[in-house]
Amino acid sequence: MKTLEKIKNSCEKFPERNAFFINDKFYTYKEFSYLVSNIKDLIEKEETKKGNLIGIIINDDIYTYSSIFAILFSGNAYVPINPDNPIDRNINIIEQAGIKIILTSERIPELENHKKLKTLKISDTSKIENKIQPLVISDISDNESAYLLFTSGSTGIPKGVPITRKALDSFVDSFFLLDYKINQNDGFLQMFDLTFDLSIMSYVIPLCIGACVYPVPSNVIKYTGVYDIMETHEITFALMVPSILSFLRPYFNDIKLEKLRYSLFCGEALYDDIAGEWSECVPNALIQNVYGPTEATIFCLTYNWNKKYSEKKSFNGIVSIGKPMNNVSAIIVDENLKILPDGEKGELCLSGNQLTEGYWKDIEKNKESFFKLNNKEKLFYRTGDICFIDEGGDFAYCGRLDNQIKVQGFRVELSEIEHHVRQITGLANVAAIPLVNKFGNTEIYLFVENYQDDANKIHEYLKLKIPQYMLPVDISSIPVFPLTSNGKINRKALLELIKLS
Amino acid sequence: MNEDIVTNKLNQIFRKVFKDPGIKVTNEMAAKDVEKWDSLSHLILISTIESEFRIKFKLKELIAMKNVGDLIQSISSKI
Repeated sequence: MKTLEKIKNSCEKFPERNAFFINDKFYTYKEFSYLVSNIKDLIEKEETKKGNLIGIIINDDIYTYSSIFAILFSGNAYVPINPDNPIDRNINIIEQAGIKIILTSERIPELENHKKLKTLKISDTSKIENKIQPLVISDISDNESAYLLFTSGSTGIPKGVPITRKALDSFVDSFFLLDYKINQNDGFLQMFDLTFDLSIMSYVIPLCIGACVYPVPSNVIKYTGVYDIMETHEITFALMVPSILSFLRPYFNDIKLEKLRYSLFCGEALYDDIAGEWSECVPNALIQNVYGPTEATIFCLTYNWNKKYSEKKSFNGIVSIGKPMNNVSAIIVDENLKILPDGEKGELCLSGNQLTEGYWKDIEKNKESFFKLNNKEKLFYRTGDICFIDEGGDFAYCGRLDNQIKVQGFRVELSEIEHHVRQITGLANVAAIPLVNKFGNTEIYLFVENYQDDANKIHEYLKLKIPQYMLPVDISSIPVFPLTSNGKINRKALLELIKLS
Repeated sequence: MNEDIVTNKLNQIFRKVFKDPGIKVTNEMAAKDVEKWDSLSHLILISTIESEFRIKFKLKELIAMKNVGDLIQSISSKI
């Protein structure tokens, strides 16, 4: 795996340079590789075969990051588990993936009681020492997985997306072909939850070039933490979700980040007006809008924002997502999967080496989401995003085909929330309605038809089933749901009800 | 306005923003102690405090605030 060779090379070339800054402490490449090597030994003692899925309880520490690479270097694939998510959801992920070993730096009693699971407490056995320990990359086919991530699934069950070593290598390869002027002196922001694949770019790329990763602590308010790290540590490369900008917008007058050279946005629509205001805060940075679903490894289309072309390169105020990266091809198709001419709106479909080979153990979903064009071998993934190709060959983003929304960059299937509400209430008519608030952030409102019980019961149940960012901000019962002329729930009318109240 | 009055007014704001009539602020209380206290509710909380007390916070002041005690002090110094 080329990416691991690059990281091994950084460890050998820059042993005394800092690899991470976590919880007010720097860790050098030497310390990082020592830990990776020790945890790798620990894994290999437990599991002699390669190609397994190994879980990691994600924490804000060097052990968690080292474990990710120990798993990859040992020829296995990692599955990140966020201990703040509901235990039911985490158990579901562990069972779906068939995980037998889980690495953790902090005890999680609920998981340790799970009888089929062996937890290895890495912080006990792996003291951090400033010694040189050469890293060895276990030999395994690049067609094997590097990681398995789970995203919101419309049927109420999280959906697994396995990404091969080859796909991750292809992303890294495409990334470096974008010609960023970056080296070991750069500082990278890492603001993402490790279950979110944008985090992978934020730590893999810096480690490939010997630069330092600055994760944002999870115990602070995210947007203040992001700004604090960027300013204090003179971050030069930052990938963020656009919702961070709507949080920081009231303070744009106070912000001047002159050291920032690359300001990338992904995960949600980037609005041209806010990009324009942000450009004043980061006078020396290239603002880049990047696009990509987890299924196509991190991101795969990029657009270099330029104030001069603002109007021409935005649609409904949303900045263009640009052109496909080197190892990706992108097409626009109609509902019959026929390629549409430039300028016509249709569904964006992706192909190439960055693509997953399909959802984890889900044949039905794979039939819906993947297809071969004109029966040729090349596999395409249907993103569910509506786009068109503009005169300059750039892709313009127009919206979603289904009920998937983004909350602070996280993918949320509204039907997943509704599924759990139906389970607890026994009611058929329930609707989760997204509304963009006055700060530009998406909030979810829940409606239930003629619900007689305490709304808090629903809230408490949902807390056991779905992550915090998916929880509705308000739950209301109305006697009868408004319907459209063809008898469907009138979501627009419900949206109006929220706006009225 | 002394800190008690600020605290009382803050209690009302917290109850409204977090939709929890039982919430009572203390100096040590921080975001991790309140279930719904995330980026979104923080933004709403701060903007409600700013309009109720007719003050404005700087981003650096927000970063320096580690708990409700810091928040009360910062408000008191501005009114």
